[in-house]
Amino acid sequence: MSTLAADERPRPTAPAPAAPERPPARRRPGSRLALRNTLIGWSFILPNFLGFAVLTLVPVVTLFYVSFTDWNVFGVATWVGLDNVTRLVGDASFHRALLNTLYYAGVHIPLTLAASLGLALLLNRKMRGVAFFRTVAFFPYITSVVAIAVVWNMLFSPEFGPINQLLRAIGLADPPGWTTSSTWAMPAIILVSVWREMGYYMLLLLAGLQTVPAQLYEAARMDGANAWQRFLNVTLPGLRPTMFFVTVMLTIQSFKVFDLILVMTNGGPGQSTLVLSQYIFQKGFVENQFGYASTISVALFLLCISITVVQFLVNMRRDA
Amino acid sequence: MKRITPATIGLTAVVALTLTACGGTDEGDSPGTDGAAAEGPVTLTLAGWSLSTTPEFQTLADAFHEENPDITVELQEYDATNYDTQMTADLAAGTAPDVYVQKNLRNFYTYQSGNQLLDVSDVVAELDEGTGGAEFYEVDGASYAVPYRQDAWVLYYNKDLFAEAGVDEPDGSWTWDDYATAATELTDGLEAAGSEALGTYQHNWQSTLQGFALAQTEGADLASADYGFYEPYYERVLDLQEAGAQVGYGTITTNSLTYQAQFGTQQAAMMPMGTWYVATLIAQQESGDAEEFAWGLAPAPQSDSSTTGTSSTPVTFGDPTGLGINPAIDEEKAAAAKEFLAFAAGEGGATALAEIGITPALLSDTVVETYFALEGVPGDDLSRFAYSTHDTRPENPVAESTATVQNILNDMHSAVMSDSAGIAAAIEEAENRAASEAGLG
Repeated sequence: MSTLAADERPRPTAPAPAAPERPPARRRPGSRLALRNTLIGWSFILPNFLGFAVLTLVPVVTLFYVSFTDWNVFGVATWVGLDNVTRLVGDASFHRALLNTLYYAGVHIPLTLAASLGLALLLNRKMRGVAFFRTVAFFPYITSVVAIAVVWNMLFSPEFGPINQLLRAIGLADPPGWTTSSTWAMPAIILVSVWREMGYYMLLLLAGLQTVPAQLYEAARMDGANAWQRFLNVTLPGLRPTMFFVTVMLTIQSFKVFDLILVMTNGGPGQSTLVLSQYIFQKGFVENQFGYASTISVALFLLCISITVVQFLVNMRRDA
Repeated sequence: MKRITPATIGLTAVVALTLTACGGTDEGDSPGTDGAAAEGPVTLTLAGWSLSTTPEFQTLADAFHEENPDITVELQEYDATNYDTQMTADLAAGTAPDVYVQKNLRNFYTYQSGNQLLDVSDVVAELDEGTGGAEFYEVDGASYAVPYRQDAWVLYYNKDLFAEAGVDEPDGSWTWDDYATAATELTDGLEAAGSEALGTYQHNWQSTLQGFALAQTEGADLASADYGFYEPYYERVLDLQEAGAQVGYGTITTNSLTYQAQFGTQQAAMMPMGTWYVATLIAQQESGDAEEFAWGLAPAPQSDSSTTGTSSTPVTFGDPTGLGINPAIDEEKAAAAKEFLAFAAGEGGATALAEIGITPALLSDTVVETYFALEGVPGDDLSRFAYSTHDTRPENPVAESTATVQNILNDMHSAVMSDSAGIAAAIEEAENRAASEAGLG
């Protein structure tokens, strides 16, 4: 009811003179309208919200409960308190997966950001065939991950792959083993994922670039700013809202990377490319330890949310 | 009269339903197999995957129905790759079929310990003693599934390439060292003859190497967290890889090589693989996906000469595929389900499966005869010996820790095979992980 009352308050447009005479009769049509509006509003979001509640909200809330239990899917989950957390703290494989995830995110985020910004700047000018090049840059993003992984794996093939043949041709005697080497597997995956995702973020940044007012560039030019100075003092500040959005999305995407790694290396060789989401999958769906898998999920969730909060705080301070 | 009939039918139905409902709540003894089949027609549901390309389920269902016209078996289809995930969900939701397949031994423990399998010890007690793998489903003296097919790993070899290289064909007496020598000789001989084929092909699965090591090493145990027994097997394979007698692990993974193409298009003269590949190879030679060449089966090479030769029983490995009963089955259907299990694991099921080129768990003389009467199956004595005589050990012995340990060993496999870690270091890491992650050792 409080929402209805609140809705009613800012309605000074109603015929004022009638007000003192019959207050109850006046209230009704207003509240009815508000109720109707609310119902209509609800009916719009209900289908989506129901889906969200049933398929996302309830499972996520359940996950928090399951993370404190020992559960193999069948029967009742046994409450084990903080046992799973204690196990997590001492689990060397978890540490490995966490470090690998941080490694992936730490290199993948700045690289993708730089590559997509470069592409966006390059394709944000009037030139012939710009639409074609934008499409080309976006293409990897809409290609199936499995196809990408299989083809890149072949390109990376240590002995017969085109990449190493090229490297040998330019005089590198001992080219890296890429996905078959524990040192080079992660860089190989990062390369592929940067290539795959830069088109998408380029599109977002392009949209952002178009919102930077042209007269600012003009004014900067009048003041004698060179191209680098214009980029630093006009483009980047103008892009900040978009950059913020892109960075947050990119961060979350990087922390939950899964499909590409699963198909390209399946976490190997050894555990050299094992990431958190894959470890969750292994513990849950392969080893049927759903309680412990949920605990790792919660850890991943906390990691994502704390980094996002920090990003928001930094952004807010800059805004102020 | 016209009005009475529907009423009578209705009343009968109500009475019948009430009685059945009462019967359902009765905590009676679990029905046995001694002919106590439900009266009247019964319909059982059976799980299967990729039904259009996997005929074994329909074959079993039809053959059983022919023998027991009162019982019809209907199939419920699942996705082959996600079979266990989907089955787990269906069991938890109460919508799983009456009889479901234990696709591999790795997940059997989860089903059994989760009380999702009916005790079928009475069926197992009646089985032929020669049924392979029946004991793998035993937990604390009771059996929870029956095996109906059991493939075992053997050595496939290409007779034409052996002749071309001028190397003697296997005679059943090979140890792994003999195999390695032959692989190197074959590679050299084939190269001299102008062929690009290599001596052998060992697929990148962990089973290809670890399965043999676990089965053939005395005292080897996954639960011991002592994995030194893998070392000689890895040394041998790395040497072969180094010598160029087999394709490198990295090439297999990065180029997604398939074993069917490697052996079927004569890229390798030998290949250790499971007996399921016999039917595939014959079909592919017929369809043209594989080239025409003469081939044969030899027993899997042994770790030492104590188990070699056609007078002894070679040791190999392979997990059975089994059938178990969903405990949520209607009580009156349980007897029929047990009859189906007994049939599938018995001579009737075995012959029906052998007729379509599948290796049943029961390898009686008749079954082997049926199998080798199929067109395309090599008819020589050694192939027959390799196919029918072996001591098959489980690849995934049933235990709580097996799934975790196999994951750890899979990481060890990729680390060693890709030369990312030395054998000893990788084994040590696996042992440490087994101790900390599975609480072993």
